[in-house]
Amino acid sequence: MSEHRWGMAIDLDRCTGCQACVAACHAENNLQVSDPASAAKGRAVHWIRVDRYYEGEFPDVRVKYRPVLCQQCDDAPCEPVCPVYATYHNDEGLNVQVYNRCVGTRYCGNNCPYSVRFFNWFDPVWAEPLQLQHNPDVSIREGGVMEKCTFCVQRISRAKDDAKSEGRPLKDGDVQTACVQSCPAEAMVFGDLNDPESKVSQWAKSGRSTQLLEELGTKPKVFYLERAR
Amino acid sequence: MSLYLTGVFSYKDAAIQAVKDLKAAGYGPEDVIVFSDEPVEFPRGVLDRPSHMSLAAVSGAITFLVLCVSFVYFTQYNYRLATGGMPIFSFWPTSVIFYEMTMLGAILSTFGWFIWESGLLRRDKSVPVPAIEPEVICLRVRYSPEQYETAATILEKAGAYSVARLEKAA
Amino acid sequence: MALAPIPYHQVRDDLWRPLAGASKRYTLTLALLSAVALWGLIAWGYQIHVGIGVAGIRRPVFWGFYLVDFVFWIGISHAGTLISAILRLTDADWRKPVTRAAEAITVFALMIGGMFPLIHLGRVWVFYWLFPYPNSRLLWPNFRSPLMWDVTAISTYLTGSMIFLYLPLIPDVAQLAERTTGWRLRLYKLLSLGWSGSDREWHALERAMRLMAGIILAVAVSVHSIVAWDFAMAIAPLWHSTIFAPYFVVGAIFSGLAGLIVALNIIRRTMHLEAYLTPHHFKNLAKLLLLMSLLWLYFTFAEHLTVWYGNEPKEMNIFGARMRGRFSPEFWVMVFVNFVVPFVLLGIRRLRSITTATIASVGVLIGMWLERYLIIVPTLSMPRLPAAWGRYSPSWVEISITVATFAAMAMLYLIFAKLFPIVSVWEFEPHAQEEE
Repeated sequence: MSEHRWGMAIDLDRCTGCQACVAACHAENNLQVSDPASAAKGRAVHWIRVDRYYEGEFPDVRVKYRPVLCQQCDDAPCEPVCPVYATYHNDEGLNVQVYNRCVGTRYCGNNCPYSVRFFNWFDPVWAEPLQLQHNPDVSIREGGVMEKCTFCVQRISRAKDDAKSEGRPLKDGDVQTACVQSCPAEAMVFGDLNDPESKVSQWAKSGRSTQLLEELGTKPKVFYLERAR
Repeated sequence: MSLYLTGVFSYKDAAIQAVKDLKAAGYGPEDVIVFSDEPVEFPRGVLDRPSHMSLAAVSGAITFLVLCVSFVYFTQYNYRLATGGMPIFSFWPTSVIFYEMTMLGAILSTFGWFIWESGLLRRDKSVPVPAIEPEVICLRVRYSPEQYETAATILEKAGAYSVARLEKAA
Repeated sequence: MALAPIPYHQVRDDLWRPLAGASKRYTLTLALLSAVALWGLIAWGYQIHVGIGVAGIRRPVFWGFYLVDFVFWIGISHAGTLISAILRLTDADWRKPVTRAAEAITVFALMIGGMFPLIHLGRVWVFYWLFPYPNSRLLWPNFRSPLMWDVTAISTYLTGSMIFLYLPLIPDVAQLAERTTGWRLRLYKLLSLGWSGSDREWHALERAMRLMAGIILAVAVSVHSIVAWDFAMAIAPLWHSTIFAPYFVVGAIFSGLAGLIVALNIIRRTMHLEAYLTPHHFKNLAKLLLLMSLLWLYFTFAEHLTVWYGNEPKEMNIFGARMRGRFSPEFWVMVFVNFVVPFVLLGIRRLRSITTATIASVGVLIGMWLERYLIIVPTLSMPRLPAAWGRYSPSWVEISITVATFAAMAMLYLIFAKLFPIVSVWEFEPHAQEEE
């Protein structure tokens, strides 16, 4: 039983679909930039994406936005199918992707019901001067390797290191993933599910808390708050 | 000092008779070898060669099974990595691998035992081998010098159309 | 069913004649096939160098042509198993001229199919991480993964098939060694292991063949079940089906038989073995093909009815795309060539002949390739979350490699038929000594 169990809660009734989280994730995690041709070919990479669903006919149309990112499932279907243990569950509840170990069978991508896994089809290239913007805390993935949202594990590590060197425990709000930090509607919270006082634990316990594709039994750790329909 | 002679038969029954007569005359199964260019079925009791191939196959299979289970158990506990909520030693998924390795053990031990039991690779090069003529059965009899007449007579009486001493080819 | 007895020396002449020399047609064909196979290798090299993105695969269709080809070729490899193992075990005499051709197909199809787990890897240069060996990272492979099951299953099956092909080859090679010179003599002598035709050797060989037939049958069933479980273990809609394992095994035997019939017809005509591969053989094989077609239809119907009746939305999306939507042309072509054509051509006794069996078989090969395509691509195109839906189209790299594998198969087969008698001589000869 580890000290921390990272989770996220997203309030869908606050989400405006602005995609600031998507942009922030790109900047933080050195995501490759796709041109229109490769995007059309299904090669664009967005570790967090905002799914847009339209309900009804004009003028009674409702739009629903749902940011979808790796759910860090406790019973992740992507983990047991990797033949080389390039993805496994660490003891802080994260589904970690080990870039160095991935041989590129892409079975994990097929088995993820949320389609949150992305593959590096080529070695990534950034047009000048975008490569200067890279985050030094995050490795560049080479071609042939799978990647996905890591819950900004580099930020988690940094916060833990800072807290340790200052000799204090981590408190709620110390770790902010890039998407959570950038949401202008404050629709997302991130924190330790093991801490009952943390915001994420409280949101997760709320009456509006649901999970995506819950019936599959993947035990995701992203909670979506939405009005009961 | 071992000498060899051959009797060539056109008909299987004649060959069977010859083998029986040779056995009655005291020649053992090591002394009488039948050569042919296709397998010849002798009835039971004529020239039985006991075989342990099934036992070898089963033993090989079990050995590989035990080795495989131990290996998987060892490696999965050696570097523990949790995947998808499955146990560290996941018996049922890995049982597929156990099955395959069991079969591989059976395959390899069958083949290995075949090489051994047939005597292929450990053939004594000094022993002469008759050239196989198609559609005939050739009996090679090992005899000691004084037994030549007996052996040759038995073969002729049984119906061999050619009885000759067998020399090692130069 | 006795064949008209062919005089012994004639048998040897006929079966050994193709081994001597190479006609112009042979050399030209071999050269052409090698060129196509080489082109496939170049395409693969290009893919390794530039990146696997030169293939058409993309999110969400992470598996495309390469996996279709993989399943297809492993399926073809079941030709040998059916003919050799089952017919050996049941002592069916008519199988005798056919066994080596079938066993050769198995070995080569496995070699080719086994290339695809490498070809489809994103980082093929570290493929050896799938094998358990002590390393500085102290890591072992994950044996829970169906892909690891594939590695063990295909290795085991390949080892078994090669031994199963080699064992009955030993007596033939020993006979050939007595009649050749030069490099062939050295090759045959080496392979014959000093076979002298003694009863001890024959006895051991027959025991080994009987055991191997049983073992290889057990392995073959497991191999294609494991290949099926690459898909069935995933929770992707329409993949997570318990019927996949037996469905794939049936499909494999079906496509393997079809491949065998095509190969035998070509052998028969190009090597003038009409007296050895008779209409009787083809009619028996055709009956088996018809049986497998009906079995395939049964499984297909059971699977489709179950899905349709359950009406689960995510599954029905894919179901609709396959039967009425954008995959429907492939789907209905598959049904036509896998069932309608064999049923008509082989079910009506008057139409059953070597030619119609071959036509039906070519159709089945196309149909079974399409079946694998229709299992893999539609499901991946329409994952559970519609926002991630996508379309797949293959690139020239995938098409080149696919075509090259057919050329490589034919090429390997041609070389084999030139080195060893494609009809097993010692098994074919009637037991002359029985006749008094």
